[in-house]
Amino acid sequence: MNIRNALLVLLIFSVKPTFLAAQVYFTKNGSVSFFSKTILENITATNNETISILNSQTGEIQFSLLNNGFHFPKAKMEEDFNEDYMESEKYPRSTFKGIISDINKIDFNNDGTWAVTVTGDLQIHGITKTISVPGKISIINGKINAAATFTVPIKDYNIKIPSIVSNKISEKITISVNCLYQKK
Amino acid sequence: MQRKSKRKIVVFVALLVALSAFVGYGIWNKPHRDVRNATPVKVNAATLYKILSGKNSSDKSNFNNKVLSVSGTVKQVLENHLRQQVILLKTDIEEGAVNCTMEEKFENVKAGDSVLIKGICIGYNAGDLDLPGDVFLIRCYHAD
Repeated sequence: MNIRNALLVLLIFSVKPTFLAAQVYFTKNGSVSFFSKTILENITATNNETISILNSQTGEIQFSLLNNGFHFPKAKMEEDFNEDYMESEKYPRSTFKGIISDINKIDFNNDGTWAVTVTGDLQIHGITKTISVPGKISIINGKINAAATFTVPIKDYNIKIPSIVSNKISEKITISVNCLYQKK
Repeated sequence: MQRKSKRKIVVFVALLVALSAFVGYGIWNKPHRDVRNATPVKVNAATLYKILSGKNSSDKSNFNNKVLSVSGTVKQVLENHLRQQVILLKTDIEEGAVNCTMEEKFENVKAGDSVLIKGICIGYNAGDLDLPGDVFLIRCYHAD
């Protein structure tokens, strides 16, 4: 009896939990862009090397990108962004870890679009703030897409803009996220 | 004499202003790094991944933010949100890759091909949840 129970336990724990792994989706080429609008200048930059992981069962969602992957139309802007504003050598990554609060309403097995709220910790320039933003989860031809657009005050993240260019950079930056996932 | 001196000063200041404007314009409009013609650091994909994903940081500066020429076997060919081609090169880690966003499309490339890709290495990045990260290269070209 004891040996039978022991073998049963061994069998249960040796079975790979593929049903759990099937709930996790990821991308390593998600898109995050930001936009600054002022009277004098509009600045935009995009990072297409964003890692994102989504757990469709728990609603956990995370994003991580390397700051020096943001591409600006002007090389000088890119240089200033990395060296002076983001200090990318000191703070190489920006991350977000949070939860999609209404994950259970999403039917991941059928195509459709759902408005969601995502709450979590956004870390930029070594500063972490809890944010709550609206987003959208779309299932198109069986593929999951997550998108969100929200604004962030740059002073909240201790990003200092020299006064000589402060009228060219908005106090609030618009961040846009767009990720298409594959199953882990 | 005084008039001549004043004129000289005005001309000198005007030249200085013009020079500053010229230099400033040049700096503001300086081009992005030339990847195509740069002399790259040569490395294979598996070695690059091992070094940049490892905990020992001493060798990383040889590759981070440098133009590299990476040799490897194509694992997968994808497209990103902007419809740019992304080529993943195999490493010794099943779910880890050298992730190359192509500036120009690498024609007729497919999984299993041996390739040489040149680009700027921005580093290694990973998420949580047991998923190995990738080494990322941007502004990549097919190197001969």
